[in-house]
Amino acid sequence: MHDMTAATIDAPTHAQGSRPEPRGLDAARCRAAARQIRKYTLQMTLAAGPLGAHAGGALSMVEILSVLYLDVLRYDVKNPLSEQRDRFILSKGHGAPSFYAALCLAGFLDEKELATFKANETRLHGHPAMDPSRGIEFSSGSLGQGLSLGVGTALALKIRGNDVSRVFVLLGDGECDEGSVWEAAMSAAHFGLRNLVAIVDRNGMQYDGCTGPVMDTGDLATKWRSFGWVVRDVDGHDVSALHDALASSPAGPGTSAGAPLAIIAHTIRGKGVSFMENARVWHHSRLTQAMFDQAMAEQDASAETAPEPPEPGGSKRP
Amino acid sequence: MTNLEKYTKAFVDAFDVPPSELPTLAYQAIPSWDSVGHMGLMAVLEEAFGITLEIDDVIDFSSFAKGQELLKKYSVEL
Amino acid sequence: MIAYTRANTRAWSMLGSSGAFGVAAMELPELDSNVAILTADLAFFSGLDRFKAKYPERLFNLGIAEQNMLGVAAGMAKEGLKVFATTYATFASARCCDQVRVNMGHMHADIKLVGLAAGLSVGILGATHISIEDVAIMRAIPNITIVCPADCTATVKATVAAARHKGPVYLRLSGVQNNPTVYQGDFEFTIGKAIRLREGGDIAIIATGTMVHAALEAATLLAERRIACAVIDMHTIKPLDEAAVKETLGAKLLVTIEEHSVKGGLGGAVSECLAGLRQKPPQLVLGMADSFNRPADYPYLLEKNGLTPRQLAESIRASYEEVK
Repeated sequence: MHDMTAATIDAPTHAQGSRPEPRGLDAARCRAAARQIRKYTLQMTLAAGPLGAHAGGALSMVEILSVLYLDVLRYDVKNPLSEQRDRFILSKGHGAPSFYAALCLAGFLDEKELATFKANETRLHGHPAMDPSRGIEFSSGSLGQGLSLGVGTALALKIRGNDVSRVFVLLGDGECDEGSVWEAAMSAAHFGLRNLVAIVDRNGMQYDGCTGPVMDTGDLATKWRSFGWVVRDVDGHDVSALHDALASSPAGPGTSAGAPLAIIAHTIRGKGVSFMENARVWHHSRLTQAMFDQAMAEQDASAETAPEPPEPGGSKRP
Repeated sequence: MTNLEKYTKAFVDAFDVPPSELPTLAYQAIPSWDSVGHMGLMAVLEEAFGITLEIDDVIDFSSFAKGQELLKKYSVEL
Repeated sequence: MIAYTRANTRAWSMLGSSGAFGVAAMELPELDSNVAILTADLAFFSGLDRFKAKYPERLFNLGIAEQNMLGVAAGMAKEGLKVFATTYATFASARCCDQVRVNMGHMHADIKLVGLAAGLSVGILGATHISIEDVAIMRAIPNITIVCPADCTATVKATVAAARHKGPVYLRLSGVQNNPTVYQGDFEFTIGKAIRLREGGDIAIIATGTMVHAALEAATLLAERRIACAVIDMHTIKPLDEAAVKETLGAKLLVTIEEHSVKGGLGGAVSECLAGLRQKPPQLVLGMADSFNRPADYPYLLEKNGLTPRQLAESIRASYEEVK
């Protein structure tokens, strides 16, 4: 097993159980977290050895995760099932490696455990297994199902009069091939689920190559809008733009009070590793030591001069 | 109790309507006389008169008045 | 409070199993204020008109989108709601099979999935609506309790029992309006515990769903020929009441009857239960043939599949003659 390198940091704190006041995004800190998530993802991929990992799709969603877990999501590691928490559902379950990395930074998972990724008898599988007390709300892996889970969760919150918690569902763009996504999308608008946010990791690729030639999903923003969602198109690697989109209230200006929000995040599959970016093979592949060394060096080279990346468990949000 | 009294009582119990409204009462005219209420009424009438209604008659039983007609088939004079 | 009077059980029989489910549904909010009933555009067919009128905020129509309905049900169940979801048995098992296995099977989502019009009852709609194989599909998915009530009284009982049961349930409703009655009044119904309805030392008949009544009629016909049959209502197919199955070992012939394919349903479950035993009676598996049916009405299709009491009695008698 490979050693995971811990990093040091100080973290902002929020009062227990309180809704954080809107504040400016600490963009540099989010970018640093993103870099750390990429490093963890690479380490897990190497640790998986010949089993390999879905590194490409895990890397395209890193900024989305860093903004969610450092900035937007409401959660409390000491009270993981708190009613007031936001619910995050990873519908594109194969993005598990970077998801686990984010959960580690958030404090749900121990850094040492990341080294057990894909090991036999591990709790960190290639697709997430439901473990709500550790931040994994549902199992996933069979694509196209997470948004329905999100609709049901959002409906239940609405029934209970919980107008504080939000439900965030992260989907892949290839995943939008699945008809069940559109069933869920239709129903979310029908039920006016303003507490539901779908984030589409629009990296333009799927297993067999670019989405266009495989199964062209066309203009996703128009599609989601036509299903009754408020849609924001953003650069999925720009933490400030992601913050603006994710933190935006569906009742804000230019939005419909009773509509769910879809964020089309334009990303690059394999982002941050030169030989993975847009490479078909990196839907799922294995790393050699040499490739790993090169990829890690690229992360260090991309580091800003300050600040340090967050330490695992240090970036908690109430 | 006469047959007519039994018949009337079945409707009053099933639908909680005053007897004065019964002569013109029809299926689906009031919320309680829906399909569930209808079968409940049929079962009570069967028990009251010791008969088993044929399914066509259950379907044709569309009003208080119509029912009076139908029950003649079962030798129930109202 | 549901009253299991003769008049009520007769009314439920006339309504049919969906109507009986609708009657039971009215009780559910009394059992649990967190009830939610989901349907895939089958509220009316599921007998839920009254529920909709009285509890509109608890009925969710997901439209003709069964996969989404299952996922929504799972999301709600995880948030602590007591969730029922209704659709045709064909679609419950086949259309959203992945969602059933991932949510109910793998994640133990506490959903009570109601499969309407199972078997041949909407046979006039053809092969797409006749569920031959829904029990076989559900049986192969771990963690799902499968209940097939024998009549409309049992349907009401089973619905309430499912609501009280902890864990995912597939409730398979069959038959049509004027569904023959097995239980004319109140009776003890426990998920997982079969009910012995008739004693007889020659043949043991284990039946489920609508075939329980048919089995009782067949047993009466066989008794006229001096063949004594025991009849067992195996309403819970999974987990199978194995003790009840093993009580049949003394019979000269064991018969299973279901309005379901002869492949993989009750017959399969019973034979799997006994497979390891050296001493056991031969088993005659009666049910729907392993083929698709052309559209026709219910009585016609029952006859075509050899499932009328007269046909069942004859099949059983012929088999018994060979093995006794």
